Amino acid sequence: MGILENSLPDSILTTRVDWMINWSRASSLWPMTFGLACCAIEMIAVGGPRFDVDRFGAGAFRATPRQADLMVVAGTVNFKMGERVKRLYDQMPGPKYVMALGACATGGGPYHKFGYTVMKGVDRIVPVDVYVAGCPPRPEAFLDGLMLLQKKIMRQRVIRAEPKKVVLPAGIGAQPAT
Amino acid sequence: MSQRDTAWGPMEVQRVAASEAAQALQAVGIELKLCVPNLPWVAPEGEAKDLVRRAKEEDAEPVWRGDAYLLLSEPGQVTQALQHCRDELGYSQLYDLTACDPAADETQLKLIYGLRNLKSKARLILQSRVDKAAASVPSVASIYQAADWHEREAGEMYGITFVGHPDPRNILLPDDWVGFPLRKDYEYPDEYNGVSCKE
Repeated sequence: MGILENSLPDSILTTRVDWMINWSRASSLWPMTFGLACCAIEMIAVGGPRFDVDRFGAGAFRATPRQADLMVVAGTVNFKMGERVKRLYDQMPGPKYVMALGACATGGGPYHKFGYTVMKGVDRIVPVDVYVAGCPPRPEAFLDGLMLLQKKIMRQRVIRAEPKKVVLPAGIGAQPAT
Repeated sequence: MSQRDTAWGPMEVQRVAASEAAQALQAVGIELKLCVPNLPWVAPEGEAKDLVRRAKEEDAEPVWRGDAYLLLSEPGQVTQALQHCRDELGYSQLYDLTACDPAADETQLKLIYGLRNLKSKARLILQSRVDKAAASVPSVASIYQAADWHEREAGEMYGITFVGHPDPRNILLPDDWVGFPLRKDYEYPDEYNGVSCKE
């Protein structure tokens, strides 16, 4: 990279710290098993050898929030369970990500209209990073959502400062009045 | 009478068992009415529809199909009736206990007890009616343990108080839930614990 490129021995790589950290985070997402309904069956299938989520580094399903950094909300969240979902999310160490798997976790699904005790989307209690559509989603959809989340993680800034928002003086860059 | 076999014995067994149980319960002083279906199990479909339509037009007694049941006139006698069924008539299993709200403008709820005699394979259904305004019946959990959770569920869903229940907490809904969801006049909540229930 740059001027260092050919001045180091072969065993040394140079890279950006942000890229390195993000790459580590994205390549070893440890999901928390949070099977609530039929979507959990697809999540389990993803963990099996046929779809093999280990290829993406997310195969270490943890049964405790303390060791996980990806909460896969797989299934119908009702209000009684919603309190537990929130509590488990709060117990996860950061950085943490949430995947809403399937129609129920995304927006109530088939219970949207008449499910009196079903939460109409888990994003009403925890911030969701990626939504996966389907009822239930195919394992391929899960993997697609996972790769999308990995792309999102790669865009994070760790030690780089957020780009400063340039405030232009009044009058410059403003839309012409119509 | 058609001989329609069910997994639990022929229909004839059910009907005979219901009338025998009705007599036995009446003999010990329990007021009840034996309700027998007036539509045969295997009537041709068109014929059955004709019967239902004619009964509606003439405002006659409704035509229905299903199991015969015993309608207890006094819900307070439920414990006595079930105790007798279990001890004397051999109905050793309570396979269902539920309630039903027929319509929003009705004043009464249905209470349904399903009993089964594992030896004779007979099934016996007891029903009763309780007022919606003050729905209260004695608990039968001390007679059939299976009634414990069934009563908790019926209680939270229909707002029925089971007097003498050992553990009358909600079983499915949160403890602070307002309203009885399976009643026909139930109104959906706007929010629960600060989380909006709106679409």
